[in-house]
Amino acid sequence: MPGPLTGLRIFDLTMWMVGPWASMQLGSMGADVIHIEQPGVLWSSLGAGVPPTIDGTSIGYITWNMNKRGLFLDLKATRDRATAYELLKTCDAFLINMRPGVPDRLGLGYETVREINPRLVYCSVTGWGERGPMAERPGADTQVQYVSGFWSTNGRRGGEREVYRHFTQMDATTGNYAAQAILMALLARQRTGRGQKVEVPMIRAAAALQTARLAEYLATGELHQPLGSAAYATAPDQCFPCEDQQWLGVSVTSEDEWRSFCAAIERPELGADPRFTTNAERVRRRDELAALLEPVFRAKPQFYWMMRLTNASVPCGYPLRFEQLRNHRQAVENEYLLEVETSAWGRVWTGGPPWHFSRTPATWQGTPMPGEHTGVVLDEIERRPSAAPALRQA
Amino acid sequence: MSGPLDGYRVVELAEGVAGPYCAMVLGDAGAEVVKVEPPAGDRARGWGPPFQGETSAVFLSLNRNKRSVVLDLAEASGAESARRLLAAADVAVVDANRLPAPALCYEAVAALNPRLVWCQISGYGDRGPWAGRPAGELPAQLLSEATASLGRIGEEPVRLGTDVASMYAANYAVQAICAALLERERSGLGQRIDVSLFGSMLAMRSTLWVALSNPDEWWGFHLDSYVKPPDHGYRCKDGAIFFSLARMEPQRFDGLLRDLQMEWARDDPLFPLLAQDTAGGTGRNAHVVKQLWERAFAAFTTDEVAAIVERHGGITFPMNDYAQFVALPQVQHLGMVPEIEQPSVGPMRVLAPPWEFSETTAAIRRPAPRLGEHTDEVLRELAAGEARP
Repeated sequence: MPGPLTGLRIFDLTMWMVGPWASMQLGSMGADVIHIEQPGVLWSSLGAGVPPTIDGTSIGYITWNMNKRGLFLDLKATRDRATAYELLKTCDAFLINMRPGVPDRLGLGYETVREINPRLVYCSVTGWGERGPMAERPGADTQVQYVSGFWSTNGRRGGEREVYRHFTQMDATTGNYAAQAILMALLARQRTGRGQKVEVPMIRAAAALQTARLAEYLATGELHQPLGSAAYATAPDQCFPCEDQQWLGVSVTSEDEWRSFCAAIERPELGADPRFTTNAERVRRRDELAALLEPVFRAKPQFYWMMRLTNASVPCGYPLRFEQLRNHRQAVENEYLLEVETSAWGRVWTGGPPWHFSRTPATWQGTPMPGEHTGVVLDEIERRPSAAPALRQA
Repeated sequence: MSGPLDGYRVVELAEGVAGPYCAMVLGDAGAEVVKVEPPAGDRARGWGPPFQGETSAVFLSLNRNKRSVVLDLAEASGAESARRLLAAADVAVVDANRLPAPALCYEAVAALNPRLVWCQISGYGDRGPWAGRPAGELPAQLLSEATASLGRIGEEPVRLGTDVASMYAANYAVQAICAALLERERSGLGQRIDVSLFGSMLAMRSTLWVALSNPDEWWGFHLDSYVKPPDHGYRCKDGAIFFSLARMEPQRFDGLLRDLQMEWARDDPLFPLLAQDTAGGTGRNAHVVKQLWERAFAAFTTDEVAAIVERHGGITFPMNDYAQFVALPQVQHLGMVPEIEQPSVGPMRVLAPPWEFSETTAAIRRPAPRLGEHTDEVLRELAAGEARP
């Protein structure tokens, strides 16, 4: 069955994570993503060689290049550059994540590409933007987390601020904004008949992700103090230890939920307590409220509270780990976690499409070897007409 | 210049973070967004402090470029108005766990408007035993094991201060909506989409699932993120800094030690590990030898450490808080924090959209609405539109 983007073709001149992540999303929705690598590339250098590896290849390359076809092009060689230009004529979008100036040196700057195919959407992802005092600095996930303050709103209650140790979220976030921007520009093309350039700097994406927290800072000029598991804007919205020494997370975010919550924990007098009538009052007295609730939760085990609160439609949850998740019916039946076959690295677990489309389902396919589809793709472009129609039939 | 989504009509039946942010992103890109609120308003209007005027700063940041219509969906007239709005819309952004009256379910609305792209945001997906459970930011972070990348094993879970599960779901929803609108150009038909907080979190952590599949050995930050202690950066006299020696030429190491006045480290039993360290929080032994670097950095300010490390070919970045981030010359240069006029608040600094389009604009055209500010205006327009042949 075709996906929503079946018929679109993406020229994927990307490396490391942020660019590959963006095009991988488009591939899941049916776009023909053609991922370019240099002929003879050392597999140990793929995905920047970031460990761990599977059979010597970084799990980064394996994770971030699913839903694609692999093509070798040596962009420094005249013949392959001409092939790239032929391929561009058949593409709907061009995606690159290289420092400002590098695309021009490869003969693939925006002006050149626009001449070749004026209907093409040209998306450039950089660390810090293409202009300004930081434009030339290297930009990677770790650095964007530190610079953007993403790390500064996490930490043990009353303790130090701490980094989100699984570096990848700034890259994936920026990749997701890039994918949506490409699709927006393709929608605009339906109206204008023309492509355009879209820039998505990681620093902008990181800030956008933190919209709500940054708004709190901009409103007050006050920095966030770490709250452990507790939310900044709502209460009670945090973890409590239960009788069985397990943690239970509960999120009360509306006045209706507050009343349901008080009924479910059999403390209706709290619901009537004038100190806690509104969310704002509960946030101002967060610690006082938590001190009243802690003995309540300590009196019964986690599963008891999960059942009571779930029956009362109060959002709640508890920490799970991958070993539990990959066998969990909720993750499996929604295909949020799945095993895919890769070309060279065996079967691996990964995240599936986060969307369910009712008519045009998304799919998830294993990683190709670099250049795996070179022959097939070259055959195809010789057969294709040079003018790209608006949206080709599937 | 118009926005890339100019002319698309979006109806939002959502509250909190995920649905409203999704609709705002579409609005930033030019779509006309009508936010349908219950008489008590979107719950996020009460989220805080801080409040600006009467309204939550969080709410204001997630609801610009929208008009607000108050409808009581429990009453027949309110449900009927919502049905008419959806019948004339291109996109619906709906909270799955607060699905309104049966007349407003997808099947009923699609019968009126088969071109509608209906995107519901759920907690856990539309299949499986947890389908229909209410969404929550903290539950989604816990259940997807995001809290395994913060805090210490055995202690209270530490949440990400940013509402990542909601924001990730919103961004995936925007992708899916745009993809479905493109597909509609070909088929003439809309469709129903489900995007969940839980599924979005699991997708965003997929690098870990591959890392855990069958690694050659347990090494690297993907796996170490599970077992390492909390990371606060490298402490200096006046704050913390990030540094990396990955690009430094090995022969510069002696000079680096000299300028950091840490010749004493040569006598430390950890010195062989220090001499191989590329630092930066991702090295194999970075957390082991961090104490040696920090002993040296304690004598210097972050600026001094940055100057020394960069002089020898390493790189450094500041560990910024929000005040330092917003004040960055690069942030100013890109115009990332423009000022808008927010009624009853006055001039207010907000974040610009994340993308820059060369031919179309993403723009802040209107501030966040007061509750029900546009009810009459929108319903009048709707009636006029329906009267047209």
